[in-house]
Amino acid sequence: MSVAMREGASEEVRATADRMAVFLSRFIRDGELVFHGVASALPMTAMVMARNTHAPNLTYLNIPGGVDPRPSYLPGSTVARQLMEGALSYFTLTEIFDLSARGKLGLAFLGGAQIDARGDMNLSFIGDPAAPNVRLPGGAGSAHILPTARRTVLWRTIHDAKSFPERCDFVTASGNVDAVVTPLCIFEKVGGCLRVKSIHQGVTADALRAATGFDLGDLERAPTTPEPTGAERTALHAADPEGVRLREFI
Amino acid sequence: MAGKITSLTEAAALVQDGDLLALGGNALTRIPAAFIRELARQERENLRLVKTAGAYDVDLLCAAGAVAQTQTGYVGFENLFGLAPSYRRGVEEGRVQAVEHACSTVIAGLRASAYGLPSQPVAGLDGSDVAAHTGFRQARDPYTGESVFMIPKIRPRFAVLHVTYADAEGNARIDGGAFEDVLMSRAAESVILTAERIEETAFFVEKPDRTAVPAFMVQAVVHAPGGARPGGCHPFYDIDEDAVGAYLDSASGAESLRAHLDSWEASDHAGSAAVSGDVV
Repeated sequence: MSVAMREGASEEVRATADRMAVFLSRFIRDGELVFHGVASALPMTAMVMARNTHAPNLTYLNIPGGVDPRPSYLPGSTVARQLMEGALSYFTLTEIFDLSARGKLGLAFLGGAQIDARGDMNLSFIGDPAAPNVRLPGGAGSAHILPTARRTVLWRTIHDAKSFPERCDFVTASGNVDAVVTPLCIFEKVGGCLRVKSIHQGVTADALRAATGFDLGDLERAPTTPEPTGAERTALHAADPEGVRLREFI
Repeated sequence: MAGKITSLTEAAALVQDGDLLALGGNALTRIPAAFIRELARQERENLRLVKTAGAYDVDLLCAAGAVAQTQTGYVGFENLFGLAPSYRRGVEEGRVQAVEHACSTVIAGLRASAYGLPSQPVAGLDGSDVAAHTGFRQARDPYTGESVFMIPKIRPRFAVLHVTYADAEGNARIDGGAFEDVLMSRAAESVILTAERIEETAFFVEKPDRTAVPAFMVQAVVHAPGGARPGGCHPFYDIDEDAVGAYLDSASGAESLRAHLDSWEASDHAGSAAVSGDVV
């Protein structure tokens, strides 16, 4: 997406991108080993900004292998060479998988085209896997990392009934899902099922139900997700002045 | 400057129809793009491709009708352009068999081959449909009785790697992220290198621990400056998003794909020409 297109992004898309980046960043704990993979502009933004808010001691891991990079700018591809800039050591994807297998990876961000009522995700096939209607990209490392990382946070930039079905057409990965961040709400996984943790400001319970393919239960007491604070907004815009996070909404 | 230096044309001709190829780099970074385009120009068929995360490389060969099977964890253009259209179409129309992997199982299969073993235990996959869909089987650890998935070895005919520096014998240094390139070189029967820069052997003697691929593993070396374009290659150039977009516009038709391949032909071969010029 060109700069011109980013400048042309609607206010609504900008607000959603800002909220999702901030909300993702809030799941990072200070001192944690945190990983994002391929096609992950929002988590990349969240990780860079979290270092300047509440998690200055996070360890940033990524596919190119630069540990704690200080990229001169956020690249559109989240495996690009900028994620080696300023790094002090080199830790490969293979080593990150091994780290996760040993139970030492703190938090990983993973995207899903479908995320279902159990918090399982699909990045493989829409329709019958033997003769798919849509061949999706594939789950990258998710089938390994969801069950082995201590915590994972999923995200999806579209919240509709197709994206959030009762059951995924194909379960690419299943495991230790802490939360799911969407444009409308935050889910948490409780007792093997997703439950609404909070609803974003301006979203009604009816709208959320209509946009979700599984039963959300009682939403009476669901709190409103706290809006990004001034400090969070400042850190977000400092981390991503070019609006790379908007690329997830093309 | 002789050794294993080979023209791009001759190096691509080493690949036979039906070969299993491991492609170096990741997504749009340090991919062997010039070599990929040459395979398409030479109309190679029924190739099987192995990679953790592919993009332009896998998609272009699918667009050219050169691919029978992929073993990948991810194929797409990330947040830049989304789904890989020709790969997607090939799979949906049944022309390309997508063997579903996680990136970690691609690595495990390559590790099995590199370690000289028939299969490799791997962590994870619990609760995923990938294992059943692909046919990964479990075995019982003889010491603990624990059940573990065993990934069969993946032994490519060639690892095709675009490296930053190589000498004429095939010693190669990779600056920036090496991704799975080093593992691929150990897992494959043989290695074909394309290189941004051809250096004198003294360059490698200075820091032998930085030589990622030793010459004895390598069959052919192609001088291919810009050989990862339109992908990026540290420290020489970044991803050219406009050129990736132009490819995606062209990949939908045979004529436009031909025009895309033609438009890159001179620059793809420029390094080979320069090297043969040196020899003269």
